[in-house]
Amino acid sequence: MMQNSLAVVYRDALIRTTSLMWLFFDMAVPLLYLLMFGVGLDKAVGIGVIIKGTAVSYNEFFLAGVLAMSCFGSAINQSYAFFHDRETGIFYEFLTYPMTRGEYLFGKVLFQCIMSVVQALLTLGAAIFILHIHIKIVLLPLTIAAVIMGISGWFFILAIGAFIIRRSDAFNTFINVAYFVLMFVSSMFYPLDSVPHWIQVIASFNPVTWHTDILRYLTIGVGNFSMIVKETFGFLFFSGLMFVLAVRTLQKAV
Amino acid sequence: MNTPAISIQHLVKEYRPKKGLPIRAIDDISFDVQSGQIYGLLGPNGAGKSTTIKILTTLTEPTSGTVTVNGFDIRSQPLQVRKNICVVLQENSVDEFLSVKNNFVTFGKFHGMTKKEIEVRAGRAIELFGLQDVLSQQAMDLSGGMKRRLQVAKMFFTTKSIIFLDEATTGMDTFNKRATITAIKEEARLGRTIVLTTHMLEEAEELCDAITILNHGKIIASGTTNDVKKMGLQIFYLSLKFKEVSKQLEQELLQIQPLQITVERSAIDMSVREHEAALRALSVAQSSGSLVHFEISTASLEDVFVHLIDEKKGALV
Repeated sequence: MMQNSLAVVYRDALIRTTSLMWLFFDMAVPLLYLLMFGVGLDKAVGIGVIIKGTAVSYNEFFLAGVLAMSCFGSAINQSYAFFHDRETGIFYEFLTYPMTRGEYLFGKVLFQCIMSVVQALLTLGAAIFILHIHIKIVLLPLTIAAVIMGISGWFFILAIGAFIIRRSDAFNTFINVAYFVLMFVSSMFYPLDSVPHWIQVIASFNPVTWHTDILRYLTIGVGNFSMIVKETFGFLFFSGLMFVLAVRTLQKAV
Repeated sequence: MNTPAISIQHLVKEYRPKKGLPIRAIDDISFDVQSGQIYGLLGPNGAGKSTTIKILTTLTEPTSGTVTVNGFDIRSQPLQVRKNICVVLQENSVDEFLSVKNNFVTFGKFHGMTKKEIEVRAGRAIELFGLQDVLSQQAMDLSGGMKRRLQVAKMFFTTKSIIFLDEATTGMDTFNKRATITAIKEEARLGRTIVLTTHMLEEAEELCDAITILNHGKIIASGTTNDVKKMGLQIFYLSLKFKEVSKQLEQELLQIQPLQITVERSAIDMSVREHEAALRALSVAQSSGSLVHFEISTASLEDVFVHLIDEKKGALV
């Protein structure tokens, strides 16, 4: 099984090395978000933000948001790659290769996980050494596990969109709506304590909120532990469900 | 008797659009392809050739019927089927962001080849299809014909026992077509089974050991290429040249009920079924007193194909 999935990883890695722009987007954009948008807002907010009674700087608060955003952004990139492969026809050829649909998807997600872990380590490095954020180093392995969990869930749901949607304009709309709604109606950019109640309710059902809260707890230790446990199970269920749906969609993608 | 490389029994494929009635793309077809054969699937657009290829290559499931590839059932053993095949689809499917060389490398890795095997076999395919000069170019920079060449070359770089070629030579220039035909013949000689669809009947005539002609999802002719061509032995083409063509002559020839007739100034081309009709047409032409030249020939595979499709159209009207 691994040999087939590694062939998928190898192919994706080769493609990334041919496009520096793509590599830059995958690696540096979340980092720049943290260093530019985060730092700017940190200065503007000044006194920081309060989450569940704990005051933190905006930089500390936003770090988990950037990690979650990078997972989401990488998954979007990968779904664009899927869409492009389908448009050029190579996607259908892949489906005739001697591997299962699951192996193909696993290879795709494995490559994206590798990229996201590197990206997360770069972001955490910048947070520690440039922004001097105190990160819970002891929880670093769990943080990396949460990054992998996040990329998997987002990858599968966006891949389903890439398999089903045939028109590029419709696919762009799908991606933009997903990006806008899921990221802005979540705890990624602002603490939910201070937003209108209806947004809080919607955000509590949003897997981006769950993922961001988990990462926030693991990086700076802020959050309600019992809620984090529930959100972790919720996200794992979401990822598992999306994987099953993605495989089923892939089986009917022709 | 040997187990056929491919066996199709009572295959049916229906598509169910969101609105309207189901569309039956394949309507109860059965045929076998023997190992080492070059097998042609012919038919006009929408006949069901590509759908048949998609089913055989596990891209889509049949609605009903049984299909086995090298003895493996396409429904219950799709992975085993895929381990035995490689496919050129109608789409120009190359890895656009990768160089030509890396297209071979990744393709080899997907098919479980070692680095050494990739080097050796890719070298042969690259030479056979004349890709030496574009090895380092990104596939996206290649012309349509070159992309197709790369795509086909990849198939001849593996050692899979069954190759499917869906309109493989479409968009190729004469040189590439010739290279592809030579490669197909060579691989079949080595014992590989090749199933191809094509619009170019002279290509099918040159390559195929056996053919099936499909129309509206049904088989309208099937057998060895010679058997199908023999169907054309009862069709005669007459090319007649006169000093002048009178209305009366035209009327007399029409009374023979030709399959098709065209009159152009002093020349008449017509096709008739059965040799008696051909002789009657000649007799009419001779008695006109202005006949200067005539030629008679039996039908080519293309003529048979056109005749069968036309006949089917007539039956449908």
